[in-house]
Amino acid sequence: MTPSAHILETVGLRKEYPGTVALRDISLRFDGGKIHALLGKNGAGKSTLVKIFAGAVQQDAGEILLNGKPIDLRSPRDALRQGIAAVHQELSLVSGLTVAENILLGRLPKRKRGGGLIIDWEETYSRARTILDTLGVTIDVRTRAMDLGVAQQQSVEIAKAMSYNPSVLMLDEPTSALAHHETERLFGLLRTLAGRGVVLLYITHRLEEIHRIADTVTVLRNGELVGMIDIADATPATIVQMMFGEAVAKMRPPDVLMHRTPVMEVRSLSRKNAFQEVTFTLHAGEILGIAGLLGSGRTELLRSLFGADPHDSGDLLLNGAVVRPSNPIQMKSLGVVLSPENRKEEGLIQMLSTRANICLASLSRISRGGFTTRARERTVVNGNIREVDINVPDAEVAVSTLSGGNQQKVVVAKWLNTTPQIMLLDEPTRGIDIRAKQQMFQLIRELSSRGISCIVVSSELEELMDICHRILIMKRGKIAGEMFPHQSTLEELFAVCMQ
Amino acid sequence: MHAIAEPRAFLRSAVLEIILVVLCVALGITAPGFLTAENLLNVLRNVSMQGLIALGMTMVIIAGEIDLSVGSMVAFGGCLTAFLTGWFAGGAGFPMPAAVGTSIAATLIAGFLLGCFTGFMRTRYQVPSFITTLALLTGLFGAAELITNGFPLTPFPDWYNFIGGGYLFGIPFPALIFLLAFAVVHVLMNFTSFGRSVYAVGGNAEAARLSGINVTVVKILVLAITASLAALSGVMQSSEIMSGTATTAKGWELDVIAAVIIGGTSLMGGTGRVWGTLIGVIFLGVIMNGMTLLNVSEYWQHVVRGGLILTAVLINRLEARSS
Repeated sequence: MTPSAHILETVGLRKEYPGTVALRDISLRFDGGKIHALLGKNGAGKSTLVKIFAGAVQQDAGEILLNGKPIDLRSPRDALRQGIAAVHQELSLVSGLTVAENILLGRLPKRKRGGGLIIDWEETYSRARTILDTLGVTIDVRTRAMDLGVAQQQSVEIAKAMSYNPSVLMLDEPTSALAHHETERLFGLLRTLAGRGVVLLYITHRLEEIHRIADTVTVLRNGELVGMIDIADATPATIVQMMFGEAVAKMRPPDVLMHRTPVMEVRSLSRKNAFQEVTFTLHAGEILGIAGLLGSGRTELLRSLFGADPHDSGDLLLNGAVVRPSNPIQMKSLGVVLSPENRKEEGLIQMLSTRANICLASLSRISRGGFTTRARERTVVNGNIREVDINVPDAEVAVSTLSGGNQQKVVVAKWLNTTPQIMLLDEPTRGIDIRAKQQMFQLIRELSSRGISCIVVSSELEELMDICHRILIMKRGKIAGEMFPHQSTLEELFAVCMQ
Repeated sequence: MHAIAEPRAFLRSAVLEIILVVLCVALGITAPGFLTAENLLNVLRNVSMQGLIALGMTMVIIAGEIDLSVGSMVAFGGCLTAFLTGWFAGGAGFPMPAAVGTSIAATLIAGFLLGCFTGFMRTRYQVPSFITTLALLTGLFGAAELITNGFPLTPFPDWYNFIGGGYLFGIPFPALIFLLAFAVVHVLMNFTSFGRSVYAVGGNAEAARLSGINVTVVKILVLAITASLAALSGVMQSSEIMSGTATTAKGWELDVIAAVIIGGTSLMGGTGRVWGTLIGVIFLGVIMNGMTLLNVSEYWQHVVRGGLILTAVLINRLEARSS
């Protein structure tokens, strides 16, 4: 540790959201000069912790200390002023502005000219260049952000964070969009920063990365601190144990049936920069899980199977016949439907009513000769609301007012009206509460028992273990393995996924 | 609680209708001759040609698009009908009724195809409808001038005046066309799967696409229907003034869009009602008629109209926020 190393501490940090405690009594100490990996399942509290440090949300109780002094973070501006900077997963550069402008956005150096202040471009460029130079990044500061590759944009984001001369730098899954050699460069950069005494918090889902970059591993679970351990002690088994708790051998429900009739055969399906040579067979009534990290190509694969995006090569067979998916209209008519990852933006039309959303995919079925009435639609919709148990006072309320779980059920109900044969579900349980999750699983099992096959993509490995007949593991666009939940353990799945 | 909530909700949803009624009562008291059957029918007649286009524009705006070319389309439609009538009746030797009928049909088809073109540019090349119709705004005006060579064409027989200036059962014929078109578009938007798709496409085109709705067809059709209605309006206009004139209907696009917006349709797409547009159209007609009866100067009429557009949108925003 360098003598000038910073120290970030929390004492009894607590944050509640309506209905849930996001963080409970978190007391931690992050030493500068080290890279700290922050781990936890979705909803464990990682992002809440990072948001509190970044000043985006405020804690309900507890203190944050920087170098021993309590600090008050009421806004992102406060956090930056204290030297706490964050690089978020979603890149946030202004695409029409130059690299230099992006780095110094809001703080462009000015000079006097004829009684007024104008931007000092010389100074802007040279300052931005200096920052990039210290990071060892060679990008022309006059390039516009839109002309940069993802890795370069990431470097600019880091440069922007560095321009605040931070004592704490937080990175949220920074490598999810990076190629191998770009990841290497980023790691080099982080080590340089650590060498200067900066506190580095690193959120990732990739276990192999943790061993290459991190010095300590901190695990959160259900809003509580499970512990901080040295990287030397962080074996995969230890990490899984910390993340998931005591492995409870859950009883898989007995009612999951599966036939050996293939309904969908995917042969060497490829799409440039998304997935390569994907081959698998889906059977009637089968619940097939796809496990994989963000950016593994799982979402792109489902979209191509649904015809929402094109694919480059390979074949798709439905019930033995070759099909070339070209658009969702065609795939819908063939009985293949998609519940998209981005439920709010792509699965639903937020400004329309629950009724209108449920009828969306089956307008031609519900109407007679093109004509329809609310009364006719309501009869159908009320049936759906009972069938999938949507909690809604009235089918006319805007779908935007429903909870995440109910919105997900609306998406499923929408497709049930088209009598699908295969349902592609991309992260169907993201952002929904435990009860709604259980109901969603029940629903998927019911579909399965009716002979409808499901492909379920999820980041929640234990969920896949619970409901799937079979799990494919996707890594960097390829199918990397296959597992049968009744023959393996969560630890084994986790180890395959993260290596 | 129900007893209190419901009248309030009703008042809120019928703000424009209530203001219109209050306005009519006020004008009935202050403006001599306002509340006579003759004057009210006159109002209806005055708004019918722009109103016809406003019905289509409502669909276009709900679908998340815009059509700026409707004013030029009216001029172009009138000139094309006049030119073709002269050509069919003269050079081609058609009997007059056949010449007029063929010309009207050709004009409506031309309008439909031009609307399809805008939709095609939008869906195939992602050219915003704002841009394509802005180009058509200029282009069609020029085309109308080219057709007429800068002078009004007057090939029409006397009976042609019936379409834009006649009466049927004591009601102005253009008003009948407008009301009939209202009924058709109202049913189309509220009681057909096509109408539902228009709202879906305007609300979120990507979600609509991923629900297997044919976004391309919906966008092309609403633009084509609107362009056809503008062409029809051009036929009616040429009948009213008994000539094809290139300089007519200048700036109509803004009046039409204003009526749609006053009627509560959001420029963001996804929300709006055909009924609201009918009220918006009549509302603007009543205001203009009332001010004329009260001898308000034309300049002031423009200022008032500007204020009305802003006020109507403000009311809609406040209402949306409070509910």
